Amino acid sequence: MFVARSIAADHKDLIHDVSFDFHGRRMATCSSDQSVKVWDKSESGDWHCTASWKTHSGSVWRVTWAHPEFGQVLASCSFDRTAAVWEEIVGESNDKLRGQSHWVKRTTLVDSRTSVTDVKFAPKHMGLMLATCSADGIVRIYEAPDVMNLSQWSLQHEISCKLSCSCISWNPSSSRAHSPMIAVGSDDSSPNAMAKVQIFEYNENTRKYAKAETLMTVTDPVHDIAFAPNLGRSFHILAIATKDVRIFTLKPVRKELTSSGGPTKFEIHIVAQFDNHNSQVWRVSWNITGTVLASSGDDGCVRLWKANYMDNWKCTGILKGNGSPVNGSSQQGNSNPSLGSNIPSLQNSLNGSSAGS
Amino acid sequence: MSGTKPDILWAPHQVDRFVVCDSELSLYHVESTVNSELKAGSLRLSEDSAATLLSINSDTPYMKCVAWYLNYDPECLLAVGQANGRVVLTSLGQDHNSKFKDLIGKEFVPKHARQCNTLAWNPLDSNWLAAGLDKHRADFSVLIWDICSKYTPDIVPMEKVKLSAGETETTLLVTKPLYELGQNDACLSLCWLPRDQKLLLAGMHRNLAIFDLRNTSQKMFVNTKAVQGVTVDPYFHDRVASFYEGQVAIWDLRKFEKPVLTLTEQPKPLTKVAWCPTRTGLLATLTRDSNIIRLYDMQHTPTPIGDETEPTIIERSVQPCDNYIASFAWHPTSQNRMIVVTPNRTMSDFTVFERISLAWSPITSLMWACGRHLYECTEEENDNSLEKDIATKMRLRALSRYGLDTEQVWRNHILAGNEDPQLKSLWYTLHFMKQYTEDMDQKSPGNKGSLVYAGIKSIVKSSLGMVESSRHNWSGLDKQSDTQNLNEERILALQLCGWIKKGTDVDVGPFLNSLVQEGEWERAAAVALFNLDIRRAIQILNEGASSEKGDLNLNVVAMALSGYTDEKNSLWREMCSTLRLQLNNPYLCVMFAFLTSETGSYDGVLYENKVAVRDRVAFACKFLSDTQLNRYIEKLTNEMKEAGNLEGILLTGLTKDGVDLMESYVDRTGDVQTASYCMLQGSPLDVLKDERVQYWIENYRNLLDAWRFWHKRAEFDIHRSKLDPSSKPLAQVFVSCNFCGKSISYSCSTVPHQGRGFSQYGVSGSPTKSKVTSCPGCRKPLPRCALCLINMGTPVSSCPGSHSVTQDRMQWHDLGSQQPLPSASCLLGSGDPPTSASQVAGTIGFRPVALAGLELLNSSDPPASASQSAGITGMSHHAQPIFCNVLINRK
Repeated sequence: MFVARSIAADHKDLIHDVSFDFHGRRMATCSSDQSVKVWDKSESGDWHCTASWKTHSGSVWRVTWAHPEFGQVLASCSFDRTAAVWEEIVGESNDKLRGQSHWVKRTTLVDSRTSVTDVKFAPKHMGLMLATCSADGIVRIYEAPDVMNLSQWSLQHEISCKLSCSCISWNPSSSRAHSPMIAVGSDDSSPNAMAKVQIFEYNENTRKYAKAETLMTVTDPVHDIAFAPNLGRSFHILAIATKDVRIFTLKPVRKELTSSGGPTKFEIHIVAQFDNHNSQVWRVSWNITGTVLASSGDDGCVRLWKANYMDNWKCTGILKGNGSPVNGSSQQGNSNPSLGSNIPSLQNSLNGSSAGS
Repeated sequence: MSGTKPDILWAPHQVDRFVVCDSELSLYHVESTVNSELKAGSLRLSEDSAATLLSINSDTPYMKCVAWYLNYDPECLLAVGQANGRVVLTSLGQDHNSKFKDLIGKEFVPKHARQCNTLAWNPLDSNWLAAGLDKHRADFSVLIWDICSKYTPDIVPMEKVKLSAGETETTLLVTKPLYELGQNDACLSLCWLPRDQKLLLAGMHRNLAIFDLRNTSQKMFVNTKAVQGVTVDPYFHDRVASFYEGQVAIWDLRKFEKPVLTLTEQPKPLTKVAWCPTRTGLLATLTRDSNIIRLYDMQHTPTPIGDETEPTIIERSVQPCDNYIASFAWHPTSQNRMIVVTPNRTMSDFTVFERISLAWSPITSLMWACGRHLYECTEEENDNSLEKDIATKMRLRALSRYGLDTEQVWRNHILAGNEDPQLKSLWYTLHFMKQYTEDMDQKSPGNKGSLVYAGIKSIVKSSLGMVESSRHNWSGLDKQSDTQNLNEERILALQLCGWIKKGTDVDVGPFLNSLVQEGEWERAAAVALFNLDIRRAIQILNEGASSEKGDLNLNVVAMALSGYTDEKNSLWREMCSTLRLQLNNPYLCVMFAFLTSETGSYDGVLYENKVAVRDRVAFACKFLSDTQLNRYIEKLTNEMKEAGNLEGILLTGLTKDGVDLMESYVDRTGDVQTASYCMLQGSPLDVLKDERVQYWIENYRNLLDAWRFWHKRAEFDIHRSKLDPSSKPLAQVFVSCNFCGKSISYSCSTVPHQGRGFSQYGVSGSPTKSKVTSCPGCRKPLPRCALCLINMGTPVSSCPGSHSVTQDRMQWHDLGSQQPLPSASCLLGSGDPPTSASQVAGTIGFRPVALAGLELLNSSDPPASASQSAGITGMSHHAQPIFCNVLINRK
């Protein structure tokens, strides 16, 4: 059973992204009001805003935390065509005494000529790396060669995707068997039926990212994409938010079978596809073990998906976007008879259906 | 808006009212039904709202367009534009004693009759009403009326005569407009510009024109086809939308030459375009014969200076109802709410949701942002209705020290919550394996021990061709059955299955007793039967039937059992083989399968999937010949590997096969915790070197870090280094210099004999002694002891001060000591105040660079206890000041 409670966010405009740090004790939000807020969880479990500052001169699309090994570091990206890296300043100051933290800008990444739509730190084992993608269809990968000096970032790779990019996701696997991999989604809405999800893999020999896979079946605009935490699995799970929720598995074909040096081949299966959101799906997010997926869509609901032991994905919960319980009647909102109002906020296994792999 | 297609309008001030107009005007009142039942006669609009009809006005036929008076008073005053070009004021209000009563029924008549296309009230001067008309020769098409104007002098006001309905002549006629604009043209749409009272934007026949009423001879215009439905963005007054056929054009009035933006063309013509009044930059559009409303979210306010980039527009579509939509209207104040009406006048009220962004925290709570609000959603702790997710399970298990019981290995399944039969089987298997390995080692310190961990599959293989079958007597029955002579390997296998205990004694008695005690009568009876002791089986069943929790039907089973006959064609046999399939309990089922089977073919027992693997394997060891057994074990192993069933570890042991099996288990469940702990048990074998196993362990440690379970992580590391001597914990504390920020251990690692490390400095008086008390990087002195003010690294013996010289080996001074400090504990972020400390000896301004567990620099021994290993990941030089307190409490 899930219970939702509201937190006074105090943003002056739409909130575009929420992001937790590695431990889940801190949270960052970003908004169209061009600011980022940092929240800390108190011992009692309440969230307190400890910093709020103007970060960009446009809507801030995404905000993300670096692994705490690199310090308290945030990255944000914005409509103003830049991405920025922020670091919390340690020290005794008046801010500290008031329970506020102080963040300074360490760098601005200005390579993009269009709106930067997503920013993500690479998994920890790759070092301090940052990927951005922009509306002009270029994924850029930056690296801070010296983790102690966050003001120096060098542009390591530029990957051209040919399509306006909307979202990226690093493969979190730290296994040596898996090379670094990044999936890119495009929200290009022109009617051409091009595949909207591309997966790039780092090739040790050429030291470049090369396209490993294209998910040909995804031709509608993609709004979000997320690799599940790998957690020792032999395959990768990728969730895609497009006009429906889709879950793919990518199983690497054993190296011996493929010609060495080339990109890894994958057996790709679609394990689930849900159109319960009725229309566009905006975001997808995995829990820490990659076993529960949350998605949000145009029906204004948050839905939770979970696989049973047979690997059949089912809906395990629905929550309304405003935190109120979902009533029994359908989401269409037309003149259905009243079904009573005391139906619990979470309906088990409602409308679950899944596509066979 | 012809007579057939209804239009809909929200009242601008009374926010719970709206009007639907087709051939008549119907006023509705909206109520929330969240806390009340639906009233009789009201129409349901959505899950939580309903509408009640308040009044109907059919005074004004031939309606072409309607506009709601923008002032609060009089309520429900509407202007209706008619097919003949007349504009009539009418009211739906019940408030008849208003001072504005004389307005109602007033008519404004153009010179030439033609259709009235549009009406617009001036938002600033509320009495001005603009009407857009079709073309009539050289006549004006935009007329601006003042509703309060006195009756025009050239027409003598007639007496107020109440006329019968449907009559064309009316009482109050106004024919003199305030302004006349748009000569020799047609007007299709109108809107007042909010930035100035006297500016009117009109969609004329072939152009968009801005009329300035201060100078009516001039107008600003731009030629375009997109002249319908002009509407001004309420949040950004220079932004205007208009449409033509399927295309929406967005204009910036500051650069009026061409549209700043045209939206993607729709295949069908548009019928309505409207800006959301409660949210910036949200435009809703509706096309003909469609059940979706398309929304364009313009996230960025346009800039007048030449910004070449197109503003980002997010296109969305919502489907408020299943039928085609005739019209829609945004609610004037409720956030993103709109009401839609279909051609057959069903209405629905719905809210356009903002795009929700969401994130999971590591501790299974979900946070999402909807609009400007944040919501946190947590799983309720004590809720047993749903099966918990593996993330929650692993967290709880980590807290209950799951996997850490190395003495009574089987107890781990109880720590895991005692709910998963597979885990139970796994930990019993590991328990037996451990037990018999020790046993073997005692007997013969050869390599037999490793065989135990290799699983029954290898054990059985090693005994190939050494067993002969013999006939054994049934105890208490005059019957013989073929069973196998039990050699050493098979005994070992049975021991691993748990059927027999340690020693050479082949007796299942103790096992049966323990089963009976746990109330597993059916299983006990089956095991007894498989050991050819039918009397014991019957006795167990009787016991089960008579006990409190037992099932009385067991007596019936016992009865059936006692009727056993060996005769091939007996009725008993026939009935048993047909009826046994109806038994619910798999053990009862296999008992009869066994009794009715032909000698040597036991498929009914061996392939009954509901029977625990260990019982089936033990049965197979007892009854199958070597080749059969091998084939069976092989088959079962593959089945288990395929399914990732942990019971199969009994067969595969902790070998490569076992890792394969565990891999499919992890793939299926994500339970790296069990995988890590299980594989650590097999430490003598090579499995730990398997990349996958290392990867599981790494992932599990990572999880513990994310949950901030530093102690658990340290315990796990200790546990791991105990069972796997090759995995030494890494140096877990790094100390950096306060001045230059370089790691002090850095220079240490360059010393060739790393194992000795700092011991070279310090006490022994090595040549590099001069560097001891200073940072190797910047030569600044290292911090001092707070009590004796001696620099760190100074030989211990020379430390005087209040802490007694003799006993208080203040080893902190001697950074290079090989032993971890028993009395020093670093309170890095652990949150526990140093309550037990009798003295706080020094507060040293070190900042650990990257910590993973806590162990002092370069000490090669694992920490002696977990409390010393309280660690932390992620505290760093970048944030969160850390005070490294050295506590001396040895007084």
